[in-house]
Amino acid sequence: MTAGGRPVRVLLVIETRALTKRYGTRVAVDRLSVLVRPGRVTGFLGPNGAGKSTTMRMLLGLDTPSSGSALVNGRDYRALQFPLREVGALLDARAVHPGMAARRHLEWLAASNRLPRRRVAEVLSQCGLEDVAGIRLRHFSLGMRQRLGVAVALLGDPPILIFDEPGNGLDPEGVAWVRRLLPALASEGRTVLVSSHLMTEMAMTADHLLVIGQGQLLAEATTAEFIAASGEPNLEAAYLKMTQDAGQYRASDMEQ
Amino acid sequence: MALRAVVHAEWIKLRSVRSTYLTMACAAVLGLGLGALDTASVAHHWAGMTAQGRAGFDPVGDSFTGLVFAQLAFGVLGVLAASTEYGTGMIRTTLGAVPRRGALFAAKAVVVGALSLLLGEVFAFGAFLLGQFMLAGSHLNVSLTDPQVLRAVSSAGLYLSVVALVGCGVGALIRHTAGGVAAVFAVIFMSWPVARAMETWSYLPDRLVLSNAADVIGQVHAASVKPRLPTLGWAYLDLLLYCVLALALGAWRTTRDP
Repeated sequence: MTAGGRPVRVLLVIETRALTKRYGTRVAVDRLSVLVRPGRVTGFLGPNGAGKSTTMRMLLGLDTPSSGSALVNGRDYRALQFPLREVGALLDARAVHPGMAARRHLEWLAASNRLPRRRVAEVLSQCGLEDVAGIRLRHFSLGMRQRLGVAVALLGDPPILIFDEPGNGLDPEGVAWVRRLLPALASEGRTVLVSSHLMTEMAMTADHLLVIGQGQLLAEATTAEFIAASGEPNLEAAYLKMTQDAGQYRASDMEQ
Repeated sequence: MALRAVVHAEWIKLRSVRSTYLTMACAAVLGLGLGALDTASVAHHWAGMTAQGRAGFDPVGDSFTGLVFAQLAFGVLGVLAASTEYGTGMIRTTLGAVPRRGALFAAKAVVVGALSLLLGEVFAFGAFLLGQFMLAGSHLNVSLTDPQVLRAVSSAGLYLSVVALVGCGVGALIRHTAGGVAAVFAVIFMSWPVARAMETWSYLPDRLVLSNAADVIGQVHAASVKPRLPTLGWAYLDLLLYCVLALALGAWRTTRDP
């Protein structure tokens, strides 16, 4: 069955299979196997150095896995002809040319994936950047760059979205905007994976959680289940308890 | 066909940053200005010049004096097209949109090559016409229809494009603007004294020096008067060699993780 000449996508998922990344002797991601499903916001939690960003970089073809696989829509990211139409990502809002205006930044991205030019105006408006579209990015605050990063992720209207710390540098209005945006995107049937260290924000936006520590999966549950299972009153306390235990778990695991 | 989309994107990038306009403005001022000064000086002093001085005069080559400096701007243009991606971190956004790294580097080379060839030819023909205008008063000028002249002028433009492509390859290889620029300067200028130092043993290094190849293809006098210089065929081979080597290294490095 096809729609508009393209096969209807049935696999709108992010999947890793025994995904492993080693840097020398250090293992950043250790046999990680997860499945991120559509229609809900999945929070990706873990301490600094747990392997969240490395996992996301491998999903986006920026880092090559040492072994295992990272798949989007069942395929290797690097095999996608027009990836922005399938996966939108915000990894690092600073990854822009400071001498380029915001609109131009979106224009080259649109051209690279043959996206209609109207999408540039649409995402500028959606992210509240119309008034600053002509300003060079060196003059953008981190919060404005963050909004531009979200605009880049939404540019190809992709069914899969990956955000690494989307609230970084945003003002309270921006934080509230992201809090509304993520569930809205998920309710449209998209697959949304978000990493964050802000537990109160995660508690409000994420339906489902993946918690990793030292490159390994520590827990996978709905947010409510995760808190309930910990016996703690809120997500922050539950998370801290879990990641604290993680170190001890690993120490005994090493003896094998 | 997807490559065309990537070429389009790279073209938008290149024309959206100030450095492109700055480097090419520098190339225009230096390339045309210094050539005009040099030819005006020759025309002015011609009556008092020795026979040896007159024999060394090349009406085409002398109009290209400024291109020696313009080539640096072309080299910088090429380096920047590749290196700023890494310096700014934009490469992560770029690879997110264009994960096929070979296609990305190919598109960059196509855009840098095309723009530099176009502008290189504009500057070469501009410098030639300006130089001939300066020489016309002393009747030292030549015409594009004279033997070898069209070849020499168009080759000078081609050479500028080769320098830009070498810069693009080196910029992608080194991933650092200052380092890339220094390396291109070294390739262009430092190789010359090194080759001269080895002349006692062989003329081969001389014949492999890029700036010697540029001198040979950009003049109408037969190069055979100086045995240490490459022949015309050698000189074109040199251009090809530098281009292929730099682009191969740049393409290889681009396929490595950022």
